[in-house]
Parts: sequence; structure tokens; C-alpha cells
Amino acid sequence: MADTTADRDMAAETAMPGPPDPPERPQVARLTPMEWVRENLFSTWYDTLMTVVFGAGLVFAIYRGLRFLFVTGRWEIIDRNMTNLMVWLWPNRPDLLRPWVALFLMVAAVGLLAGRAVRVAATVAEEAGEPIEELSWRENALRVLGRFWPFVMLLVFIGWYSGSPETWLMELLVVVDLLAFRALALRLPKAVADRTGLIAGLLFLAAFGTLTWFGGHGWDDWGGLMLTIFLAAGGIILSFPLGVGLALGRRSSFPIVRTICVTYIELIRGVPLITLLFMASIMLGFFLPSDFNSPAGVTRALVAIILFTAAYVAEIVRGGLQSVPQGQIEAAQAVGLSPLKQTRLIVLPQALRNVIPALVGQFISLLKDTSLVAIIGQFEILGVARRITNQGDFAGQGLLAETLFFAALVYWVLAYTMSRESQRLEKRLGVGER
Amino acid sequence: MSTETNYDLTRAAMEPGGTGEVMIEIHDMDKWFGDFQALKDINLVVGKQEVVVVIGPSGSGKSTLIRCINRLEKHDEGTIVVDGVEMSDDLKNIQEIRREVGMVFQSFNLFPHLTVLDNVTLAPRQVRNWPKAKAEEEAMSQLERVKIPEQAPKYPGQLSGGQQQRVAIARALAMQPKVMLFDEPTSALDPEMIKEVLDAMVELAESGMTMIVVTHEMGFARAVADRVVFMADGQIVEVGTPEHFFENPQEERTKLFLSQIL
Repeated sequence: MADTTADRDMAAETAMPGPPDPPERPQVARLTPMEWVRENLFSTWYDTLMTVVFGAGLVFAIYRGLRFLFVTGRWEIIDRNMTNLMVWLWPNRPDLLRPWVALFLMVAAVGLLAGRAVRVAATVAEEAGEPIEELSWRENALRVLGRFWPFVMLLVFIGWYSGSPETWLMELLVVVDLLAFRALALRLPKAVADRTGLIAGLLFLAAFGTLTWFGGHGWDDWGGLMLTIFLAAGGIILSFPLGVGLALGRRSSFPIVRTICVTYIELIRGVPLITLLFMASIMLGFFLPSDFNSPAGVTRALVAIILFTAAYVAEIVRGGLQSVPQGQIEAAQAVGLSPLKQTRLIVLPQALRNVIPALVGQFISLLKDTSLVAIIGQFEILGVARRITNQGDFAGQGLLAETLFFAALVYWVLAYTMSRESQRLEKRLGVGER
Repeated sequence: MSTETNYDLTRAAMEPGGTGEVMIEIHDMDKWFGDFQALKDINLVVGKQEVVVVIGPSGSGKSTLIRCINRLEKHDEGTIVVDGVEMSDDLKNIQEIRREVGMVFQSFNLFPHLTVLDNVTLAPRQVRNWPKAKAEEEAMSQLERVKIPEQAPKYPGQLSGGQQQRVAIARALAMQPKVMLFDEPTSALDPEMIKEVLDAMVELAESGMTMIVVTHEMGFARAVADRVVFMADGQIVEVGTPEHFFENPQEERTKLFLSQIL
């Protein structure tokens, strides 16, 4: 930096009276691929050794992986048990119409919300006077693919290994459903569009009702991926407000409230989730009168998950609350906001945005922890993946690798998407911030 | 303190300027931070439409004094009466006073998650319960007053320090307060941005706003103040018109301070 300035000054002096040379950016040497490889992989003998050893290991791993996927893997167990993996014994299976309708309703709701998000982002950008990107449909498609390729991969995996045209057809219908409602949300008149959240909520409720009401089955009969998603979604949606409440309570000026919140948080955080699940499913019975009609399995598991996660959410949110500068609260007081509105309008929005990464980490953890309900006799997707290897035609054949791979793939697709989308959200909420 | 002159501190402090009607009355106020006494026996009466500039060395209690007026700090002894309402521990009471008292901070304290327009409309909508359209109309007129209406859709982080401070002034004015408190409004600004903020404050003073300004801008004090209050060690040492204060200070402490800064 100092050198270039000096050089320029000297150049200007000698070259007078002509205009000074424009400052030159230092050139970064560009390497050809061969040079890059030599410099980075084979520059010394131990570099070469490392490259060869790890290269061989990598090639072997990829070879075995692909072989498992395309040659040795007996994927018919996934195909034959797809319904089991998705809904377990939704069963006695008089009809799968309800789960399908519920799925389509939920996908429609997600589509509406996605379209709404796009629309809100466009409005915000427009108001801030930022240029709106015009993308061709191909660029758009590529961008969507870049965001949701794990889901696409999962759909292809399922379609490919099921080997039946109906699967492809249903998958296509799901995607069409999603895109159609996304497009619809973009075109709704403003008065309706402003209520998209409500409409989506009603659709979710309708999906729930389709499964449960009018002779359907309550969640105690659910299983497979359906149960996983129900536990994860229910856990996230309900533990979040509880956690925020606990975090605020921990900072309350009332000693009693503070003590209760601190005690709760420290007690729950000191116990493994699995202990809570056992307590909820087994020990609770010892304390309740025998004629008390207490809710059964899944409800208890869900409550345990919510109580557990809320304690962690509370501590994460507390960190966020502490990150909001005192000056923000003073400014909110000075303009006359009531204490409640100071918290709701000024402190919480900033606090929560600051802790999005930690919160999402907690929720991803929750998603994966739902697999623990298998231990108290509920069969979510991982439980099903283990059990189907012992059933019928496949018993004793040791196909656990195939089923576990599928379960892992599903978890990963969900967790990775949560992570990626939260990063987008974070970026978007950071508009105009430095 | 000084007894050999005929200067009467109590009289100078308790005689309201401006229209002569009383806006703020502070009697025998004390403030402690733990064992440290930040304010001692503060007596001051500010008149309607008066501009009072508070100066003094750092740590002298200037900021604490004005922060007590809208209860960002709780005073320990004495009384504060703002426009006929006595400050008490009652939250309703505090809210009533805060509605009428606008404040501008050294570090702006704009809400970073809201646009400039939302920063300015927030309090009128949430505290005064104005409809959106009315609040936005008022907000735009205040933003025009501080000469940055074109920044309305931006976020505070996209603005310069001077622009942010002018938004902060507009935010306080949008509540249509009777009193404006300024806590070193130009201290955090780059030199070339100080003027644009001072211009807005001068315009405000000329429009008849009651103002208490803690500042180190002596030029502003000379030009705009009705009275200058000099504080040191938590006490009011001297009060007077700018002419009295800058040309003919009575107290040794004042003379020392002025010799250091002028």
C-alpha cells in the first residue's frame, strides 16, 4: 500500500506535466490447472504422499458408495416399504386418501407462503428504491434448483428406486401443486394476499383435520415421516413462544417470576431428553390417579420435546436480549412506548434476528431428536427404518444399511434446507445494516 | 458560593425565561449512583419557549440532569414538575411526561430494524394511536423540516451520522412534544456533519420549542441560548444569559472552564 503510493508519487513527479498514471492494481498470478495441481498437491515429497494416500482413500470411498447405491444396495426394501416409511400403520390402511390429501394441502400452504415471501421481498426492495432483478424463467429455475436441490435429489431417489410410473406421477403432482399455489400467491389481489398467512394456517389446519376428523386417526396412530414432521413442526412452533417467554421471565423485575424461570431452565437443561421422554411415558403414570384419562404416547412425547427445547431456546434468546444495546431501550422509553411495546417492537425483533443461527441450530437438533421417541414405542421414520428390516420377506437379510441410508437422507434434506433457508432469512433481515 | 459579587445564583436559576410561563421546575434534586452523588441540590426553572444550554466538564452531571427529566434516570430527592405533572414512580405518570418530552441522544439510537419512516411513525402510532396515514403525513412533514424527506424508505444503517441524527430529531418531533432534550447531539458526529444538525436545532429553537441542550458547541450556545447553565461536580455553578456567561462570568470555576475551552 505504502509502496504503491510512493511509486505513484515518484511517477507523477518524473512524468510532469502529463497526467499521473492511473494507479495499477497489483496483478495476481493466474495459474494453469497443471500449475495449480503441482503447487498445491505435489510441491514436496510429503505433500505428494498425503495426496496419494488421501486420494486413494477418497476414490475407494466414492467407489464403494456408488457401488452401494447402484449395484449391491437392495433398494427394493425402500420401494416395498415406502408407505411404511411415510405413514407407518396409517393403516390398517383402509385408504391412503387422507394422507395424500393432507400432503397436498400442506404443500399448497407452503407454496402460498413461498409466493408471499417473494412478493413481500419485492415490495420491500421497491420501497427502498433498490433495482428489482428481472430473471428469465431459466435463471429462475436454476436459482430454485440451487436452493432446493436436496429435495429434488430425494424425489429422484424415491422415484428411481421405486421403479413405478405412479410414483413419478404423484411426485410430479406434488411439485405442480407447490408451483401452482406459489404462482397463485403472486397474483392474488392485495386484500387477499395480505391474509396469506391466515390462509396458509387454515390449510395446515385442514390438513390436520383431514387426517384426524370425520373418522380419521389421531396422532397416536401416526408414524413414519408424517410423525417425524408432526413432532418437529409441533415442537418448533410451540417451544419457540414458551422459550421466548422464559427468556423474558428470566429478566423480569419480579423475583418470583425470575426464580421460577431460572429453576425451570436449569432443571430441564440438566436432564437428557431421553430421561424426559421416559418420565413422560412411564413415570407420569405413577403420579396420576389410575382413573385419570391422561393423553397417551405421542402427546406426552411432544410435550416432553417442547418442554426440553424451550429451556434451550430460552437461553439462546436471553443471549439475544443481552445483545440489544441499552440505548435502544432508552430511545424506546424516551418516545413513550410502554414496557410491553418496548419489548415487543424494539427489543425482541433485534434480539431474535441476532440469534437466528443459534435458534435454527437448536431446531435442527430437535428435528433429529424426534427419533428418540422410538425408544418409548413410537415409530417415526428412523424407528420404521429399523423395524422394516425384520419384517416379512426381508427378515434376517441385514438390509439395515439401505433403510438407514434412506432415513439419513431424509433427515439431511430437511436439516440442510432449514439451515440454508435460515441463512437467507438472516441476510434478508439484515437489510441496510452495517 | 461567591459572595463578594451581587450575582444571585438562585434568582438566575429560578427565573423562567421564554414567555415567562413555567414549563419545567426542578427543586432540590439529588441523584446518587451507589455511593457517588451525581447531582446535588439542583434547582432550575425553565420557561415555555426557552432554550437552555447546559455546559460543563465531563462527569459534571449534565447528561444525568436531563435524563432525570424524562426518567431515564430516577432522581432520589427533590421534585421535578414538567408542564404541571410531577414526576413520580407511577408508570402512568412517567408515560404522561415522556409523551410530552422528546429526546435526542448522542449516539442517535435509531431503531436499526425499522426504516426511517417507520422510526418516525412508530411512537405516534403506538403511543398516540394515530392512524397510519396521519402518522405518515406528520412524519414526512417532520422529515422535510430536517431536510431529508428523500431518506424515508431507507434503513438507518444506510445513512450518514448527520442524517441519522436529523432523523432522530424528526422522530422526537413527530410526537409533537412540548419540550425537547438534547444530550450532546453533535458529539458523535464527524466535523463536517455537525452544522447540518445544528441548523436543524436552530430552526427548532426559532420556531419556539422549549429546549434543554447539553452540548460543547459554544457557538450554538452563544447564538441560540436564552440562558446558559454551567455545571461542575454535580452542581449548578452559574446560570446566566450568554452575554453574562461568556463576557462576564462571576465564578472562578466558570472562568477556569471557559479559559480551557475558548
